[in-house]
Amino acid sequence: MAVATREQAPAAADRGVWSWITTVDHKRIGIMYAVAAFIFFLVGGFEALLIRTQLAGPNGTVLSAEAYNQIFTMHGLTMVFAVIMPIAAAFQNYFVPLQIGARDVAFPRINAFAFWLFFFSALFLYTSFLFGGAPDGAWVGYAPLSTQLTEYVRMDYYSVGAQLLGVASLAGSINFIATIFTMRAPGMSLMRMPVFVWMTVVTSFLLILSLPVIGVGLWQLLFDRNFGTLFYAAQAQGDPLLWQHLFWIFGHPEVYVLILPAMGIVSEILPVMSRKPLFGYAFVVFSGIAIGFLGFGVWAHHMFTAGLGPVAEAGFGLATMLIAIPTGVKIFNWIGTTWGGRLKLTTPMLFSLGFISMFVIGGLSGVTHSIVPADTQQHDSYYIVAHFHYVLFGGAVLGYMAGAYYWFPKWTGKMLSETIGKWHFWITLIGFNLTFAPQHILGLDGMPRRTYRYDAGLGWDGWNLMSTIGSYLIAVGVLVFIWNIIRSWRNGEPAGNDPWDGRTLEWTTSSPPPVHNFDEVPVVHHVDDFWYRKYGIDEDGRAVKMPEVSGGALTVDTDTGGEDGDADAHDIHMPSPSYFPIIASAGVVILGAGLVFISSGAIGFGLLALGAIVSLWGFMGWAGEPITKEAH
Amino acid sequence: MSTSTEHLHIDPTEKRWMIASVGLLLIFFAAVTVAGFMLGIQVPTRERRVDPNTVAEQPPWSEPGVREIVPGEEYEVYVLAHRFSFTPNEIEVPAGAKVTFYVTSTDVQHGFKLQDTNVNFMALPGQVSKLSTTFEKPGVYPYICTEYCGLGHAVMAGAVTVTEAP
Repeated sequence: MAVATREQAPAAADRGVWSWITTVDHKRIGIMYAVAAFIFFLVGGFEALLIRTQLAGPNGTVLSAEAYNQIFTMHGLTMVFAVIMPIAAAFQNYFVPLQIGARDVAFPRINAFAFWLFFFSALFLYTSFLFGGAPDGAWVGYAPLSTQLTEYVRMDYYSVGAQLLGVASLAGSINFIATIFTMRAPGMSLMRMPVFVWMTVVTSFLLILSLPVIGVGLWQLLFDRNFGTLFYAAQAQGDPLLWQHLFWIFGHPEVYVLILPAMGIVSEILPVMSRKPLFGYAFVVFSGIAIGFLGFGVWAHHMFTAGLGPVAEAGFGLATMLIAIPTGVKIFNWIGTTWGGRLKLTTPMLFSLGFISMFVIGGLSGVTHSIVPADTQQHDSYYIVAHFHYVLFGGAVLGYMAGAYYWFPKWTGKMLSETIGKWHFWITLIGFNLTFAPQHILGLDGMPRRTYRYDAGLGWDGWNLMSTIGSYLIAVGVLVFIWNIIRSWRNGEPAGNDPWDGRTLEWTTSSPPPVHNFDEVPVVHHVDDFWYRKYGIDEDGRAVKMPEVSGGALTVDTDTGGEDGDADAHDIHMPSPSYFPIIASAGVVILGAGLVFISSGAIGFGLLALGAIVSLWGFMGWAGEPITKEAH
Repeated sequence: MSTSTEHLHIDPTEKRWMIASVGLLLIFFAAVTVAGFMLGIQVPTRERRVDPNTVAEQPPWSEPGVREIVPGEEYEVYVLAHRFSFTPNEIEVPAGAKVTFYVTSTDVQHGFKLQDTNVNFMALPGQVSKLSTTFEKPGVYPYICTEYCGLGHAVMAGAVTVTEAP
């Protein structure tokens, strides 16, 4: 039966651009997320270089204040919404179904819709440079500054763009939760899931609970700007602080949304490269959940200078300290995992170790924010910039780089070059520290953030120059990475199914996996089930490689062999491609464009009408389309 | 879930780490409680609400600047923040005196950070922010806007000149 299944799986007739546009395959959507996120990483990185070039010396003249404000705002928006969130979604899309032994996600077309909506919204945000200027109210968009700049459509772009990106993330999150809760392979109880899958559950819930809050805030912002409402207008008894609360109730969980998937990736890589099980699996899982819960109770530490009063500030300060505990638990568990292991210092392992060490620095500087009097000193200084770059670059980006090196073989069937990878790692690590370590000193020395220039003679020149040199070094590292990808894609060593001696189910299938992922749905008996198929334990408690079992390594489960539960089914039905998700998402983005220009009269209403028609076409067609079409 | 106990087995080493973590938490908790409520550490506080439309016309902000409460010992300073300057942008107080700053904004959000002191707070339209400090040494202490407020944010600054104690 197994042979028949293999042969009758959907043929690989899916080539060309059209097949990518209409694809609902979670692996292809994952790859598109990765490519899009990497392109935006280059764009956001270019913006960062502009910022650092401007600040290389005192009284920089590369950018005007107007240009600088747009660029630093777009750098923040891009890196958060168009780089780190989608690169996490890329890994989640590709590997969550593989790691839980599923053939696809629960809602393949919603998955495609989420990707295209993200991609079009991010592009739409960038069209603002052509039509009236990019958002220039910082990525936090504090009111009333963001509501008062009514002479431009800039912050309308911010409001609508972030709203649409949020909808895309919501769609993705619901899909992941449904997939993980309903489509796990037989035997894969929740406490046998890989940690990466667990962290996907946590981030998905964080997004579902936090995005509606900012969604409300962003609508209010749009209404304040265009329809004369006064939510944030202090001049009419509105409350500017309301925006800050709404933004950070979303904004702080968002930080964990950015970092938790990276923590999940590192929790996958460390056991494999240490040849030991993850130290304290349950603790790593529960501390991730605890971080998720506590993440909703710390938002006001972003607002300690706003005058909330001593009781609120003590409470939020305590909650901020509290969240350091589960985070610390994770760090100790990672160290415990490597402790006494026979480490394989491969590139993914180096990036993982880099992640841990840089994240510890960023985490510790974060704990200093929980001390209210210290926080008010650091507020909106470069110390904050240094802190969150240690968490989001030294943490998240290094973590996702580790994931890229770890899983590239599964994506392409080729290994990334280890030699070039190590160059990439060390250049990035040195460049990163050169860029952001001096910013701690600058911040404590009083340099405020979001200023396009600074005077000479304040003692800031040398540190800023060092920081700028570091940022160029990071750029060199990115170029090395690109070179590695291109070179390895063409002539990389073939990877085989299991290049790292992996522990999780994605390594049981071919590289790249077939469209239906698994010929036979695996049955799971342990955490790290695949490892237990390969290794036994001798009397001394040491792992011993078991003899290779050809073909029969995976338990055949006839009851789940076919999607329809028919034990006699000989072929696997995968969902058919559909072009309705891309049409629906394009329609929604056109609707958004209409909202941005709603104050401009006919253009706005025209776009709204067009968007309504296109999205209706997309959604109606989608609703009327059977999931699996018979032969085309 | 008959096998769940097997998977939730907790290694003694892990248990020790857990106890250590909870212990750390309790120490942190005690430290903050002591610092916040017994040492009376001062944090930025909203003093009161005002109407940003009229605040500049009514006392005390109709005449912003320094008020001498007790000569050489206690001073109050009223500062208005607006795009992109502070009124006043020159302040003079003697060293050793307790100086209390009352700052509000007439337009968008601003910050008020007095370099080398504990004073750093937001100046929001509609509310007055208040903090006290004592300048021990004479000299010039710049104050800058720390909350991004638009095009002129980088140049929004003033300075306190601290004179020798009388």
